Amino acid sequence: MTAVITPKKEKFIVPIGPQHPALKEPGHFEFAVDGEIVTDATVRLGYVHRGIEKGTEARTWTQNLYLVERICGICSHIHALTYALGVEVLAEVEAPPRAQAIRVLVAELERIHSHLLWFGVAAHEAGFDTLFMYSWRDRETIMDILEALTGNRVNYSANVLGGVKFDVTDAQRKVILEGINFLEERTHHYLNVVTTDSMFLQRTRGIGVTRLQDAQRLGIVGPTARASGVMRDVRVDAPYAAYVNFPIHMVVETAGDLEARFIVRLKELFESFRLIREILDNLPPGDLQVKRFPRRIKPGEVISRVEAPRGEVFYYIRSTGSENPDRVKVRTPTLCNMASVLSLSIGHHLADIPMLLVGIDPCFSCNDRGVAICTSDGGHDSWTWERLRQFGIDYYANKV
Amino acid sequence: MDTVVNVAALLFFPGGLFVITAGLFYEWIDRKIIARLQNRIGPRWFQPFADTVKLLAKEEVVPEKVNPFFFVALPLAALAGALTAALYVPMAGLKPAFSFPGDLIVTVYLLGLLTLCTGLAGANARGRFSLVGATRTLTQFFAYEAPFLLALLGPAIAAGSWQISEITAYAETHPWVLLSQPIGFIVAMIGLMGKLELPPFDSPEAETEIVAGALTEYSGRGLAIFHLGKGVELVIGLTLITSFYLGGLANPLDFLLKTIGLLLVMTIPQSLMTRLRIDQTVGLWWRYGALLVLVQWLVLFAWQIV
Repeated sequence: MTAVITPKKEKFIVPIGPQHPALKEPGHFEFAVDGEIVTDATVRLGYVHRGIEKGTEARTWTQNLYLVERICGICSHIHALTYALGVEVLAEVEAPPRAQAIRVLVAELERIHSHLLWFGVAAHEAGFDTLFMYSWRDRETIMDILEALTGNRVNYSANVLGGVKFDVTDAQRKVILEGINFLEERTHHYLNVVTTDSMFLQRTRGIGVTRLQDAQRLGIVGPTARASGVMRDVRVDAPYAAYVNFPIHMVVETAGDLEARFIVRLKELFESFRLIREILDNLPPGDLQVKRFPRRIKPGEVISRVEAPRGEVFYYIRSTGSENPDRVKVRTPTLCNMASVLSLSIGHHLADIPMLLVGIDPCFSCNDRGVAICTSDGGHDSWTWERLRQFGIDYYANKV
Repeated sequence: MDTVVNVAALLFFPGGLFVITAGLFYEWIDRKIIARLQNRIGPRWFQPFADTVKLLAKEEVVPEKVNPFFFVALPLAALAGALTAALYVPMAGLKPAFSFPGDLIVTVYLLGLLTLCTGLAGANARGRFSLVGATRTLTQFFAYEAPFLLALLGPAIAAGSWQISEITAYAETHPWVLLSQPIGFIVAMIGLMGKLELPPFDSPEAETEIVAGALTEYSGRGLAIFHLGKGVELVIGLTLITSFYLGGLANPLDFLLKTIGLLLVMTIPQSLMTRLRIDQTVGLWWRYGALLVLVQWLVLFAWQIV
């Protein structure tokens, strides 16, 4: 994706990326600055395009479950969940209630891990390394829980088509509850820090204010949108899996600044803690998987949406009746939120840019799939699929 | 004989080897304590030494379109300034190697040379991060230099001399100046942190914004020398503040205890605070730092007249 806002030449441009200490993944931003004030911003994404969407077409429905899980390292479960929910609709199979509850349980554990990770990174961008170290130390609790529950720290691989792989034992239940209790106490402390530490508030309060109408116009999703007062959460708007039985309360702030984004994410943690306790207390009995899941899925198409820690994840899946999907289209929340960084950064200090960038909790490798061509005179040009295909054919024809 | 003593003072003690070693050692203490406060293990004691040796052994890449003379000379000038300043302070609790009336001003300006050279080096290197870093370094230089100097002049006025050895002698024979001039002490301490670009005043080298600031283009020897200079400046700054405000430095043990104690105090704001933006740093200095010291001075003058 390439977005350009009023290109001007002969400006002092500070490049952030593709390799830069502020970025944990490659992306390229050019900020034109006048002294310390940013006057212009450009983004270029696509450095970690891996061709996963195309890859899904060459794999079977089951194999894809493991491939889509690798779209994002932080919200891996969410991708497998979205995919599984979509494919189950296509196959007209429904996972048993116990499986749906365990799916939501893992999703909420993952949300805690993701928000704590973001919290640490954001503190680091502000130059508050102590908070970074402490929040990541506490995050280890949730990583240990996920490992105890699923056997893995990163790609949990909890889903199968038509259910989940594992049950929650009493010993695991105890570990989870203990960890959640500890983290709840710590989250209260962190919420206290981000709302009262005057030095930290100097860097967050009133910085990067996104108003409600701007958030709606730019199509911002997830906690970033909810910090601007947008009532948008797929878990509430279109409950999926077990969110029908275990409803969630939407956390909304209206200030729209960086502080509000911190508050929304931290308060969402309390919702997650509450929901996890509720699920563990009321885990529905029954099977973990459906008895049989078809290998070939009859023709059809489906849209599947879930609320990832960063916002709405959107899958479009089409089947032509074979063992492989015909098309899987993924849209991750970072893509929706990226435009807000560009429009927000203008007029801010250069020092606030890393904070603004991290404020949307960007995840570059998830969203890199578009094609943009930068011409030598600095212009930008989007290619259609046909043109790209023709370019590929010509390129290899000339090469041979 | 005099020449031999002078050369020894320059090369070994109190300038040269001694103060460089001390600088690396104090840097390790600083890093270790902050690491422990941040719930980390922290580096081993020889890490700063190892870093320096590694950097000195590495190839120095001189970027295109820079003035190679300044690129090489600026780090040397910075270190030379810091090492010369070491000759005028009561290093290790002993008498300064050289002393003359008004050497306090000379010392403070020699210490400023390091920052000035860093800023010029950034401007010379022409990288975008270097230029932004250099602008910030020099902006901060103009912000903290005045309050730091004013804070050091407080004890000088009380002692009635601008000679470091005489002020130290005054501090040794009187109750700790910290008690009579607490504001001056705080401003001097924060001024030193600003000089050294320690967190939270590290926006000139804020890694998440401008990579390594003015020194982004430096690698190998130049970087190592700037690094050594900073260590030396840390030791001299600590020595100056302790000898002025914390009852002088009677002997090496006194020196060790007081300077390390002050360093421990300095690690607390380093680990507790969020980095200030450059406009916030400058605002803090001119709105509060300089003003507070002037108030301190007024009280001092009033007290002396009465």
